[in-house]
Amino acid sequence: MSDTAAEAKPEVKQASKEVKESENVAEKYSAMTVSKNSEINMGELSSVFSAVPTHKPVKKQIQFVEEKQEFSRFPTKTGRRSLSRSISQSSTDSYSSAASYTDSSDDETSPRDKAQVNSKGSSDFCVKNIKQAEFGRREIEIAEQDMSALISLRKRAQSEKPLAGAKIVGCTHITAQTAVLIETLVALGAQCRWTACNIYSTQNEVAAALAENGVAVFAWKGESEDDFWWCIDRCVNSEGWQPNMILDDGGDLTHWVYKKYPNVFKKIRGIVEESVTGVHRLYQLSKAGKLCVPAMNVNDSVTKQKFDNLYCCRESILDGLKRTTDIMFGGKQVVVCGYGEVGKGCSAALKALGAVVYVTEIDPICALQACMDGFRVVKLNEVIRLVDVIITCTGNKNVVTRDQLDRMKNGCIVCNMGHSNTEIDVASLRTPELTWERVRSQVDHVIWPDGKRVILLAEGRLLNLSCSTVPTFVLSITATTQALALIELYNAPEGRYKQDVYLLPKKMDEYVASLHLATFDAHLTELSDEQAKYLGLNKNGPFKPNYYRY
Amino acid sequence: MSVQVVAAKMAEVELKDVSAGKAALPAESPVTPTSEDKTLARNEPQKEAGSSASAATSPTAEPSAKAGEGSRGLLTPSAAKMPQASAMKHTDPQQNGGEAFVNRDGTVAEAPRMKKIQFADQKQEFNKRPSKIGRRSLSRSISQSSTDSYSSAASYTDSSDDETSPRDKQQKNSKGNGDFCIKNIKQADFGRREIEIAEQEMPALMALRKRAQGEKPLAGAKVVGCTHITAQTAVLMETLSALGAQCRWAACNIYSTQNEVAAALAEGGFSVFAWKGESEDDFWWCIDRCVNVEGWQPNMILDDGGDLTHWIYKKYPNMFKKIKGIVEESVTGVHRLYQLSKAGKLCVPAMNVNDSVTKQKFDNLYCCRESILDGLKRTTDVMFGGKQVVVCGYGEVGKGCCAALKAMGSIVYVTEIDPICALQACMDGFRLVKLNEVIRQVDIVITCTGNKNVVMREHLDRMKNGCIVCNMGHSNTEIDVASLRTPELTWERVRSQVDHVIWPDGKRIVLLAEGRLLNLSCSTVPTFVLSITATTQALALIELYNAPEGRYKQDVYLLPKKMDEYVASLHLPTFDAHLTELSDEQAKYLGLNKNGPFKPNYYRY
Repeated sequence: MSDTAAEAKPEVKQASKEVKESENVAEKYSAMTVSKNSEINMGELSSVFSAVPTHKPVKKQIQFVEEKQEFSRFPTKTGRRSLSRSISQSSTDSYSSAASYTDSSDDETSPRDKAQVNSKGSSDFCVKNIKQAEFGRREIEIAEQDMSALISLRKRAQSEKPLAGAKIVGCTHITAQTAVLIETLVALGAQCRWTACNIYSTQNEVAAALAENGVAVFAWKGESEDDFWWCIDRCVNSEGWQPNMILDDGGDLTHWVYKKYPNVFKKIRGIVEESVTGVHRLYQLSKAGKLCVPAMNVNDSVTKQKFDNLYCCRESILDGLKRTTDIMFGGKQVVVCGYGEVGKGCSAALKALGAVVYVTEIDPICALQACMDGFRVVKLNEVIRLVDVIITCTGNKNVVTRDQLDRMKNGCIVCNMGHSNTEIDVASLRTPELTWERVRSQVDHVIWPDGKRVILLAEGRLLNLSCSTVPTFVLSITATTQALALIELYNAPEGRYKQDVYLLPKKMDEYVASLHLATFDAHLTELSDEQAKYLGLNKNGPFKPNYYRY
Repeated sequence: MSVQVVAAKMAEVELKDVSAGKAALPAESPVTPTSEDKTLARNEPQKEAGSSASAATSPTAEPSAKAGEGSRGLLTPSAAKMPQASAMKHTDPQQNGGEAFVNRDGTVAEAPRMKKIQFADQKQEFNKRPSKIGRRSLSRSISQSSTDSYSSAASYTDSSDDETSPRDKQQKNSKGNGDFCIKNIKQADFGRREIEIAEQEMPALMALRKRAQGEKPLAGAKVVGCTHITAQTAVLMETLSALGAQCRWAACNIYSTQNEVAAALAEGGFSVFAWKGESEDDFWWCIDRCVNVEGWQPNMILDDGGDLTHWIYKKYPNMFKKIKGIVEESVTGVHRLYQLSKAGKLCVPAMNVNDSVTKQKFDNLYCCRESILDGLKRTTDVMFGGKQVVVCGYGEVGKGCCAALKAMGSIVYVTEIDPICALQACMDGFRLVKLNEVIRQVDIVITCTGNKNVVMREHLDRMKNGCIVCNMGHSNTEIDVASLRTPELTWERVRSQVDHVIWPDGKRIVLLAEGRLLNLSCSTVPTFVLSITATTQALALIELYNAPEGRYKQDVYLLPKKMDEYVASLHLPTFDAHLTELSDEQAKYLGLNKNGPFKPNYYRY
């Protein structure tokens, strides 16, 4: 979701504002915590469209710095850049992937200049090193273990080939999880051409494995700006092959097709977009009346939202804090700022470990929920002197200010689960009287003149992205949702979807959930005919009206 | 969840209602539509069966009423029906409806907290007024928190010391005002005490009085209301009055009125027309007296069940010209409004307060989370630690029950039909099973699906000795209790609301509340929950009354998010909760107004 802004700020000043805004929008969408209608930022939209300099932190912070510099070395012709705008947490990013085997820059030749041929003689791809295919295959097989939903989808739908004839062009993070998705789409009958939505997130060996298997992949780790668009172009602009479906993460691909090959849209049956930013761009297009095909917003599906926010953060808050500080939670006083989905998850997890949890909130309804869940609702100022840990998840800015940092007790841990790097006013700590001491990766001690130390995690960027991982299970939810959205759009009868942005139909949403139940050995009860009639429901769903809140 | 599911169904049902209701109306008194509709709507299978259907239903519902069974049936059905409609909210209220009524009638009537045993008598009494119409709409308040009298303290005035109908009595309060009709004005002091107690637990309304008293946002409002008349309602009415409104009030249920509260209101100058134990005829007479008064025309309607709206619509359609809006709180009433709207006959804006976020959460999740434990403890004294419990349905009610039981150390299994809710259950750490798989091992079975026949005879046959079976979900349909009425099984009432059903081999099943709603039959609705409802109603009235021309058209609206948030904020002081305020800078950053609304409409909470 966005620590990016942190990096971007120093270097790309002119863009930084847009970054923030767009991320803000994004957050609002994605983290239900914040969610607010984003029309506000419409003004920003155009800029969102043209450029959002963000890149996903793939590695540890330390490395980041270098990458950052490298990053700024390609200051982009455009002045601003959109490397990726995948903000959705589960946007199949590479966090969860195992370490890359191929980081060593053993080869300085750009993949674009190399001869690319796989073992079958095909050369319609561009990856770092095709020889790494076997490593990649192993990665993919590991991922398959945790993505049983897609595998069972393959089995269930393989005979009908619901995507027969579909020509899908995709632009997402290229990781083992994505590879499972791509191979599932192929198994269901689709032809795929794929590119990366982020210049750093590609797992080279996975790309190689895909290329070896005959998928036209154009991606490697550490693309330049130019490479990035070249890859996208190679994906789309292929002789004798015109895509009829788009799977996008961030909206770059859609943007490129829209700018360069508007005629392609005549054949396109639909766009599936998973990131907040991309969805926002689609809504803008739609509002401007320029959206000429149906688009599916999978970001806001119930299942995906719950897993991206509530369930994922409920675990990553503990994981992130443990990994960085080895703190013992029992009896600790913790204040959680914000009681949206993320805040609910954090509070529940901490309470379960015996922490004393305080909550701050601006929305009275969420505040009342916090009360009823047994948390004290306070203002931050009231408890700032008491607490041992401060966690922000508001989506807002300057929730923790210098003033409050000054009053914290010695050893207080400050971290951010919410949004970008705006929630904690870290900049205010960069003053001469304070000493910064990096005690380990992602952990800084900020030392006051009187010796008081505040422990700042990930420099105020997102703890869950910087110091924890996204479980494959969460990515599986996302990938399954994408696959089902593609199937739905591709097979929808004429007229069901107009030129607008749609939410995933409730029935598909339920199907995503049902495919994941097997993981828990969960046995779903079926309605009898009589019961279905009594409830006025179809036995196979959808089971709830659209306004149902879950 | 289940609850909601029913919503869909309701729609269907409602449609039927309309036609059925229409058909029925002319024949019967125009008044009765409600019961009719409900009845019909309710039991789909028996749809048009009318009274026969009811007869069929009643035994199940009210087995305890020995004498009254036959006649009782008449009443019960309607109750039963309503429930269904309302099922959606899980508000079992309606469902309970069956119960609720009973309780209301019975329990409420005498002493709300009394045990079932007493019910029987009351029921009989109840039967004695079988309503001319053959069917009756006693109440259709389905929302659980529909200010019913459950939570009210015992009534002081039950003693039928006075057989004269209040209609025949001279009514005059100490100021010489006679524009009301209640049981006994002398009980006003008692009622005042009740009201004062209720005020203690309804800080939100009291705060609203203080905050808005200066501006008098309801100055000029003439509110005609039809709700349960209890101490909580009285606090609401006096709040409305403090905000500048004139009120005339009738009861939406013939049994739920607290006579002494009505007396206190009358003494305080309110035109109240209500007493406990009205007849069908009295019921409509009271409503009519409320509405039809010289020199006073209402401009706002506060309804619970839709009877008042219906009456005005039938009898005084011209009145709608002056009416600025209708506030409706029950599921049934809301449905009738949606039907009206669909038929293009709704000629004023209406506000559906039933589906407001705050109210929904309190009616379902929070209320049931507590009442499941309370209900089970009161009836069975069961110890929860280590017990294996299966909860059927993981909607709001199911989530509440599971959380409470888990917290008590029970091992909780969940059954579900909806994969999304099922996945939620998994992620919350509950084993998702089919009922069959665990039926032999569990100690407690709790249904909250909103569905029917979730626990069937074959399940009951396989349960282990001492298994407790109860229903938190919907009416009395979830457990197939009728199937237990067979000769080989012995029923033994061990205490109020608790039956042992004994198999030939000696196995006993502990059935609570005869399969009706546990939370209504064996527990109470906290005043705090009623406070949420009452506050929501007050704010809806203020909103509708003060809305600029054109904001609301002739349609049914949900309470605006901002008002919903305000309801919540008024209740925060109870918890000594300190809400953080956005700084200007932060508000700008988020693109929000500092005072809300803070969330888009699709936000799920």
